[in-house]
Amino acid sequence: MFGLPLAFAAPLVLSALALLPALYLLLRITPPRPRQIAFPPLRLILDLPPREETPARTPWWLLLLRLSIAAFIILAMAGPIWNPLPPGEGGRGPLLLILDDGWPAAPTWSQRIQAASERAQTAGRDGRTTGLIVMSEGGRDVLLADAGKTLERLRALKPAPFIPDRLAALPIMQKFISSNKGAETVWLSDGLENGAGRAFAQGLREAAGDNGVHVLMQDKPALAIAGAENGVGALEARVLRARAEGPSQGVLRALDMKGVAIGDARFDLGAEREVKARFDLPIELRNEIARIEIVDEHSAGAVTLLDERWKRRRVGVVSGVSADTSQPLLSPSYYLVRALSPFAEVREPRAGKGDPILSMLDDGVSVLALADVGVISGPARDRLIKFIEEGGVLLRFAGTRLAASSDDLTPVRLRRGGRVLGGSLSWDTPKRLAPFERESPFYGLNVSDEISVTRQVLAEPEAGLPGRTWAALADGTPLITAARRGKGMIVLVHVTADTTWSNLPLSGLFVDLLRRTIAIASEGGAGSTAGDGSNVAPQKAESLAPTRTLDGFGALGAPPLSARAIPANYDGGASADHPPGFYGPADALTALNALTPDAQLNSLDLSGLKLMVDPLRKAEPIDLRPALVSLALALLMVDALVSFWLAGAFRRGWRRPAAAAALALMMGSFTAWIPQPAQAQTAPAQVNPRDREAALQTRLAYVVSGDARVDEASQLGLAALSRALGARTTLSPGEPMAVDPARDELAFYPLIYWPIVADRPLPSAQAITRLSNYMKQGGTVLFDTRDALTARSGGESSPEQLWLRRLLANVDVPELEPVPRDHVLTKTFYLLDSFVGRTAIGQMWIEALPPEAERANRPVRSGDNVSPILITSNDLAGAWAVSRNGEPLFPLTPGTGRQREMALRAGVNIVLYTLTGNYKADQVHVRDLLERLAH
Amino acid sequence: MVGARLLETDERAVETRHQHGALDLARRLPALLVAAKEVAATAMHGVHGRKRAGVGETFWQFRPFVWGESTTRIDWRRSARDDRVYVREREWEAAHTVWVWMDRSPSMAYVSSIAMQPKIDRALVLGLALSDLLVRGGERVGLAGLTRALATRGIVERFAQALIEDERRGNPAELPPAEALAPRTQAVLIGDFLSPADDIRATIHAMASRGALGHVVMIADPVEETFPFTGHTEFLDVDSSATLRVGEAESFRADYIARLAAHRDAVREACLSRGWSFTVHRTDRPASQALLALRMRLEAGQGGA
Repeated sequence: MFGLPLAFAAPLVLSALALLPALYLLLRITPPRPRQIAFPPLRLILDLPPREETPARTPWWLLLLRLSIAAFIILAMAGPIWNPLPPGEGGRGPLLLILDDGWPAAPTWSQRIQAASERAQTAGRDGRTTGLIVMSEGGRDVLLADAGKTLERLRALKPAPFIPDRLAALPIMQKFISSNKGAETVWLSDGLENGAGRAFAQGLREAAGDNGVHVLMQDKPALAIAGAENGVGALEARVLRARAEGPSQGVLRALDMKGVAIGDARFDLGAEREVKARFDLPIELRNEIARIEIVDEHSAGAVTLLDERWKRRRVGVVSGVSADTSQPLLSPSYYLVRALSPFAEVREPRAGKGDPILSMLDDGVSVLALADVGVISGPARDRLIKFIEEGGVLLRFAGTRLAASSDDLTPVRLRRGGRVLGGSLSWDTPKRLAPFERESPFYGLNVSDEISVTRQVLAEPEAGLPGRTWAALADGTPLITAARRGKGMIVLVHVTADTTWSNLPLSGLFVDLLRRTIAIASEGGAGSTAGDGSNVAPQKAESLAPTRTLDGFGALGAPPLSARAIPANYDGGASADHPPGFYGPADALTALNALTPDAQLNSLDLSGLKLMVDPLRKAEPIDLRPALVSLALALLMVDALVSFWLAGAFRRGWRRPAAAAALALMMGSFTAWIPQPAQAQTAPAQVNPRDREAALQTRLAYVVSGDARVDEASQLGLAALSRALGARTTLSPGEPMAVDPARDELAFYPLIYWPIVADRPLPSAQAITRLSNYMKQGGTVLFDTRDALTARSGGESSPEQLWLRRLLANVDVPELEPVPRDHVLTKTFYLLDSFVGRTAIGQMWIEALPPEAERANRPVRSGDNVSPILITSNDLAGAWAVSRNGEPLFPLTPGTGRQREMALRAGVNIVLYTLTGNYKADQVHVRDLLERLAH
Repeated sequence: MVGARLLETDERAVETRHQHGALDLARRLPALLVAAKEVAATAMHGVHGRKRAGVGETFWQFRPFVWGESTTRIDWRRSARDDRVYVREREWEAAHTVWVWMDRSPSMAYVSSIAMQPKIDRALVLGLALSDLLVRGGERVGLAGLTRALATRGIVERFAQALIEDERRGNPAELPPAEALAPRTQAVLIGDFLSPADDIRATIHAMASRGALGHVVMIADPVEETFPFTGHTEFLDVDSSATLRVGEAESFRADYIARLAAHRDAVREACLSRGWSFTVHRTDRPASQALLALRMRLEAGQGGA
């Protein structure tokens, strides 16, 4: 409507717009309520005669507001639809939908299905049936169905992973059109010539005759990858498109077999139709690549699968000839390197680096080529045999050295000396190559007549020689022999790697031979392991069954039922029978891609065919009704507010409850109407105020034993110790905290004092787990058995000791020892000999230090961490505890002189030990460290 | 558009803000000294001493104690110097009396958007400030009909208290009590004087019947002078329930202004005929302006501007 994609469901309602002028008049003569104004001097004019009583006009903007509300409501009632469905054009006949469903259609698949569905729905509304031709289904007959059935079928369709041949659908299309007069034809084309596009279009045009044929084409051409090559320094792939339109930049992503991204490569098509993208990756990574895809282009054509054939082997080339770098063309390795480098990573030993064979093996080559190396012996031979046994391939070339002295690292026994053909002393002419046998891995390669062999080494005729022969001369003498050895293989070329004996290295065949050889090498032990080596060529299965195939969107999955096996050396493109994907056994997968390496994508040319071509529509129909009704509602509220305002509701202040309530109600309805973004109400984790306290200040803690007397002693003792710490050290701990390991978080306390009361029940298993975690995370627990007077060393264990033992049974307790004299614990603040409490005879146990190094003459030792456990029996807290008046709570034993002071000092040392760890032990070296820093 | 509203009941009550406003205003003017002609003539009024002993603030003389006098009058400091007992006498000072009346009727509780203050606020501030000035100048001030003449320092608080008590009793009148004032006193009447002109005239004549002089300050909101209303409007009276609905308010402007001028002329004439002064003060002007004018007139000590 009016050039806009706008349509109305009920256009007749729009005639109500004609009533708007009447509404205008009506609104104009019913003005709003007069303003009320209090006016004290009113008395002065009360008696004035009324005049000019004509009411004021409604303000124009209010009028406009109300008229637009009415207009919006009328428009909404008319059911406006933005981007309406296209009206049916085809008149009376059935609708024929022709759907290109090859992979080029996959990126826009949902749009296509939607466009087709809309057409079918439109036809259904007009009471017309719909026929559907899907290209990939070829010659299946067209069934007419109603819109519902067609929609069901459309929804079930998936793009095919290949480009179907459209000509297969031509006959049935013609048949349909001829049998259904006046049929409307819509072709949802993928815009590619591939798959006989123009021929089909011509056929369509002829069949449809005067009835219009509607072609819907996507504007953005599909992208595809073809011809991935693992080159010398990089993996390259061609990115294709049919037309130089649409977005030109993108990213190629390489993934390995498990789907892990290995690397990205950007490409920019610019105005081209084809460009090469490069993956500059190390060869090890490149060999891992199993799949390349165009990011965000979901189609089978935008995926290239790589198998073993794309892997580059590392080949070491060692020449027996002393290196003559001034004449490289005479070097036997020159031709080898040139022939190998297109498909393999060639390594050559650097001069003067020891044994070249060993250095090559150290380089991790998978194929070792030896050009005219005579005898291999010593460690190199052992390594080489091991290399072959483990799956390596030894590729040897003959030469004068080999002819003179052969070793056993050859596939066949060699006759000394070899033979010369066509020389001056011989009647023979140089020999040509015989065509390759079927069993040979080289079968299929063309043998050029130009290749001649003038000299070669000869194999001893023996049983099994024909089975080991891969190539032979015209007279039947073997030219290339091979034998399996363990998991690996030895291949011998009976001529030199340079041109002195034969012109084979100059021919293109040489490259092909090497390529096949190395391909076999890469298959490694996968092939046959026929024991005697009679069948050295790996068994190639005749046909490879599909293992995993791509669907139209480029995702790997189980092969469809229609997928057939491919012949072993299949080199065609993908088709309905052979969908792209991996074929063959799981350990030797062969990749088949949607596009052949040299494939091109061509644009479909419809010029001169008089077909209606439209782009594939993307916009969806939008029902404007809710928006219009909402708008009218909002304006209505504005109008209400304005009316309030004009009536003076807001001038008298917000304290008027009625006005305020009305406004609040209005606001409330507004806010309720606006969709609220869902708010994730994450209640802040409840922090225990006690934990908060504990976390904010360093403080000592004790475990509540349950015995009130002991707990009081712990509380007062730790309080006294905290005071002493505050007075004597820079540490000023907070009030000691009573903790219950079953309930409280322990992580905040550097030291937990645990007086043991034997007649209390053991803590729960959960509490012990938490205690164990606390100790593992760096906390220290000071257990005080308080039984120094009752326990006898060597005697029966006291109840407290038994209790402690049961407690620690499930705790990971390190090895303990009595605190040694040079332990850092004795020196952290005071220099102490022992750790006394109420009693002085008990021993303090601590985590055993690592054994002393021999030359260590350090005055102090410490471990790398703080001991998670300290055990004493001297009742430390009892000695520290003083009453509120400062009077000691408990008598000491023996109570001589400075015992209470020494107990406090022990406490200070213990606390500082838990806080500073081995710092004091390192302090011993301060002088040395400073001296070192000074120099 | 000019808005105007009536104050809510709690808004128009006398509050401390009036006291503070009045004190602030009074502090900005120099102490007021009423130089009344009568004071000069009779030497009985005004802050200047009568040159004889009597009730006053300043020292006059020491005289020997006379037997039979109250011993509390003995000045013991002076008496300690010798053997005789002295009484300190002060100079007799007599003050002028000014009666202040402020209109607190509902019509005063009115403020428009272009005014600085409601009319009632302005009247109270003005009246209380004037009282404070007068008291500091040594005069005696009373609230007409509410208090006697006072000369206390806390006059503003006292008046505010009296006003609040009066408010509790009910609706304040639109005009001051029509009682004759003593001769040689002055009256200051502050209000909007929108009552019928005849009532006003009768009140003024009654008050001035014994020769008292007076000053009438007519407080007006700017919208009451300019009548800036347009459009469809319904006017509500304040003191009565009368309403006036007009289609186009602007057509009433000329008539209203003429009526207002006539009313003011009538009031002015009533004042001048008794020698009183008459001023109009608008609430969009600062209060100090009106106070200054009042002070000039009081100093001149005569009505009939």
